[in-house]
Amino acid sequence: MVKDELIHRSPLRILEQSIHGGLGKGNIGVLASRKGVGKTACLVHIATDKLFQQKPVIHVSYSSRVDHIMTWYEDIFREIARSLNQESISDLHDEIIKNRVIMNFKQDGTKTEQVLRSLEAMIQYGKFAAETIIVDGYNFVQSAPEDLGKFKDFAAKMGLEVWFSASLKAEDPLFDERGLPHELKRHLDNIDVLITLRSMENLVQLRLVKDHDYPSPDELRLGLDPGTLLIAEP
Amino acid sequence: MKTDLTKLRNIGISAHIDSGKTTLTERILFYCKKIHRMHEVKGKDGVGATMDSMDLEKERGITISSAATNVSWLDHEINIIDTPGHVDFTIEVERSLRVLDGAVLVLCSVGGVQSQTITVDRQLKRYQVPWIAFINKLDRVGADPYKVKNQLREKLGHNAVLTQIPIGVEDKHQGIVDLIALKAVYFDGPQGENVRIEEIPADLKPEAAKRRAEMLDAVSLFSDELTEAVLEGRETQEQIVAAIRKGTIARELTPVFMGTAYKNKGVQPLLDAVVRYLPNPAEVENFAFDLDSSEKRIKLSSDPKADPVALAFKLEDGPYGQLTYIRVYQGEIRKGEELVNTRSRQKLRVGRLIRMHADSMADIEEASSGDIAALFGVDCQSGDTFVRAGLNLAMSSIYVPEPVISLAISPAGKKSSDHLSKALKRFTKEDPTFRTYVDPESKQTIIQGMGELHLDVYLERMKREYSVEVETGMPQVAYRESISARADFDYTHKKQTGGAGQFGRVSGFIEPISDKTFEFVNDVKGGRIPREFIPACSKGFQTSMRKGKLIGFPITGVRVTLRDGQSHAVDSSDLAFQAAAQGGFRQAYSQAKPQILEPVMKLSVESPTEFVGNIFGSINQRRGLIISSVEDGLFARVDAEVPLGEMFGYSTVLRSMTQGKAEFTMEFLKYAKVPAQLAEKLIAEHQEKGKKEEAK
Repeated sequence: MVKDELIHRSPLRILEQSIHGGLGKGNIGVLASRKGVGKTACLVHIATDKLFQQKPVIHVSYSSRVDHIMTWYEDIFREIARSLNQESISDLHDEIIKNRVIMNFKQDGTKTEQVLRSLEAMIQYGKFAAETIIVDGYNFVQSAPEDLGKFKDFAAKMGLEVWFSASLKAEDPLFDERGLPHELKRHLDNIDVLITLRSMENLVQLRLVKDHDYPSPDELRLGLDPGTLLIAEP
Repeated sequence: MKTDLTKLRNIGISAHIDSGKTTLTERILFYCKKIHRMHEVKGKDGVGATMDSMDLEKERGITISSAATNVSWLDHEINIIDTPGHVDFTIEVERSLRVLDGAVLVLCSVGGVQSQTITVDRQLKRYQVPWIAFINKLDRVGADPYKVKNQLREKLGHNAVLTQIPIGVEDKHQGIVDLIALKAVYFDGPQGENVRIEEIPADLKPEAAKRRAEMLDAVSLFSDELTEAVLEGRETQEQIVAAIRKGTIARELTPVFMGTAYKNKGVQPLLDAVVRYLPNPAEVENFAFDLDSSEKRIKLSSDPKADPVALAFKLEDGPYGQLTYIRVYQGEIRKGEELVNTRSRQKLRVGRLIRMHADSMADIEEASSGDIAALFGVDCQSGDTFVRAGLNLAMSSIYVPEPVISLAISPAGKKSSDHLSKALKRFTKEDPTFRTYVDPESKQTIIQGMGELHLDVYLERMKREYSVEVETGMPQVAYRESISARADFDYTHKKQTGGAGQFGRVSGFIEPISDKTFEFVNDVKGGRIPREFIPACSKGFQTSMRKGKLIGFPITGVRVTLRDGQSHAVDSSDLAFQAAAQGGFRQAYSQAKPQILEPVMKLSVESPTEFVGNIFGSINQRRGLIISSVEDGLFARVDAEVPLGEMFGYSTVLRSMTQGKAEFTMEFLKYAKVPAQLAEKLIAEHQEKGKKEEAK
C-alpha cells in the first residue's frame, strides 16, 4: 500500500465526516475519559495522521517526559505504517520527525500565558508552521473556563486547531443523560468538538457528544482497538 | 591505615569566578593543617593559592585542572577535588563530577546567583550531586545573605534553608549565629583559628528565633521524629542534623552556611557541615559498564573485599613523570598489586600509591573503595579503568566518537615547535576525543576534536602550559562522501610501454551500506583473478575510499563486490591489481549517485524561559531541527539537531542573545546528507582549490 492510500483509508476520515469536515481552524476539540482508557493514544493517532499529510504538529505535554511521548509516536507510527514497504517507512519516519515538535511544561510552574508565549515563539521564530496543536495533560478540573478561553483565542489568532485530552476524575456517574461529562460542563462554551471514550467489553467506544454548533451530534462509528491502540471501526 | 567509609567524603568546591573559591580552599587546607601559612589568590605574594597548580588557572582565576587534595577534619578524611568551573570541556567536567559524592557551592554575598552559578548548578543536577551552599564575602559592601538565599530558591529552584545567620555584615561582620545549636560563633586569633562559642547577642535573638523556626519548618519534612519533637518543643540537635542530612543527600534540601574566607570567618563550621551533611561513598550508587555484555550497567559494591575497580580520572605531568589520579569504586587497591587496564588490555603493577595535597604527596599502602589516590609511572589515558584480572568492567563507555572538526595549526618559532609535540602527546593521552596528525599533503599539523570550543581550550592550554604559540587556519568540518545507488564497474589496467608490463582487470559493483565504513566481498569464481591478487584488489578499493571525488573527503558506507576479472601470466602483479581496483572504483563512483554528508550535532540549550524565542530563532537560522523544548518553571531546555558547519561562533551569539544566561552542550549525533545548494558550493570550492594547486 502506498502512503496516499493509507491516508485515504484512515478511520480518521470517518471522524472528519462525522464532525462535518474536521475540527477546523480556531477550534478546540477535547477527548475525555477516565485515566488509562486511551486518550493519549487517540491524540497521537490524530497527530500522526496530520504528520502523514505533511502537516506540522506541536505536541504540548503537561505530564509525560519527552522520551515517553516519543515512544508513543514510535508505537503508533509502527502500527499505522505496518502495511507500507520498508523503504518508504524509513523515509516517512524521517519526514514525520521533521514536522513534529514536542513542548513539555510543568503545569505547577507554568501559566497558560507562558505556554502560549512559547508556542507563538516556536511558530514565529522557530519558523515552525504548525496547523495542529495537541495538548495532553491539561488540568480541566483545576483550570478556570477563561483559561481554556485563552487557548481558544490563540487558536483563532494563529489559525490552528487544538486537540486536548481531559482526564475525568469525578465519581460515577461521570456523564449526564446526553453523554456530557459533568466535570467539563463549565468549559463547554470553549469546546467545539467533544468526544468521550468509554471502556466497553472488548473495545473502547468513542462517542461524539458535542459537534460544533449542531444540536444533535452524529453517531460516531469508531472505537479504539485495544490491541493496536489505534482508532478503528468496530 | 584503612579508611572507614563512613568517615570519608569526596567533595568538590564549585563556584562562580571571583566568589572566592580558591581562597576558601586555601583556608580549608590551613585549618586542616595541610599548609602552614596562607596566601592570597592571584599571587600578591608571588606564591598563589595551593590548589591551582596550573599557570592558566593562576592567571585567570579559573580552574581547568582537577587536582585532588586530602585533608582531615573531625576524625574524617575529606578529598577535595578541584572542579572545572565551565562547561565547554565536557570530558574534563564529566570526569571530575563523577568522582564527587557531594559539593559545596560557593556564592558571593553581593553577586549572589550569577550566570556561572546557574551553570554549575545544572552540572551538579545532571550528575545528581548533593550540595550545600556557602555564602562567602560577608565582609564586602552590599553583602546580603538573605537575598542570596532567596535567589537560590527563586533562580535555581532549590529548597534553600539558612542554618546560620550573620552577626553583622560588611565592616561590622563579626561572626555567625548557628541556628541549630542556637549559639553565636566567633573566630579569634590572627588567622581565625580559635573558634569561640558564646550566647547569641540579645539584639539578634528575635531574628535567630524566627529563622530557626523557618529552618525547622523546612527540615522537619524529612523526619517524622523531628516533626513530633518540634510540636512538643523538645527537638534535639541530633534530630535536626539527621533530618538535614537526609534532605541534602536526597537532593531535596540545600542547607546554607556563610562567612568570609578572606577574613577567616565561618570556614570551620562549613567543614563541620561537609562532614555532617554530605554523603559518604557508601551512600552513593555507582555503576560500571560490563564490557562482556554490551556495556550493560552494573551496580558496584563498596565492600572493600570485592574485586577492585578504579577509574583514572586525571593525569598530570610532574617532575617525576606521569601522575595518574584514581578513584577506587570497588574493593581495594594495594601497593604491589597487579591490575589490568580494560581499555588497552595491558597489565600494570601498582608501584607507588600516594595521596596528594596539591603539589606535595604522601605514600600510602592501599586505597580502598571510595578513596582518591594517585599512581606513579602508569602508562594510561585519562578515563581508563583498572580492574583485577578477570573482570571486564569500564567506568566510562569505551566507544570514542570520531572527531568532527579539524584545525590546521603551525607553531610560531623553533621553541614552540619543540614544545608542540610534547603538548599534543599529553593532550591526546588525556582526552581520547582530541586527536592529531600531520597532513601528508600540506605537511601541516592538524588537530581534531568534538567542536570549536573543545579545540579552543587546547589551544589556550598549549599557550599557557607549554608556551606554544600557534597560528591557526579556519576550522574545517569533517565532511564525508557516500554513495546512494548501486553501480557497476569493469576496468582494465594495462601498461605496456617500456620495462615490465602491468595488467589487471576487475569487474563487479559497489553499493551503499548503512552501518559500516567499508566492506569487501570477493565473489570471483573459477580463479579469474588468482587468489594471491585478491588482497591487492581490496587494498586498491580501500585506498580509493580515502578521498572522494566530490570534495576530497573520505568516503564512507560502501560495499564493493568483486565478481570477475582477468589476469596475465607475466604482467599481472599486486601493483597492477591495486591500480585496476582504483580505476574500477573511480568508474563506478560517479555512477553511484555520490553525495556529501555532514556531521549533525545533538544540541541542547539551557536558558531562562524568557529567551526561548531567540533560541528557537537561532536554531532555525542554522538549518536546525527543533526536537523538543522542556520548560520547568524558570528554565527551559531546547533539544535540537543542527549541522556542525552552522555552529561556528554559536557560543558568542548565544551569550549576546541571552545576556550570558544560557549555555549549550553539543555532541556528535550522525552524518546526514547536505542540502543540494550547499553541496554545489562545496564542490565548487573544491574545484577552485584544485585549480589553484595545479597552477602552483
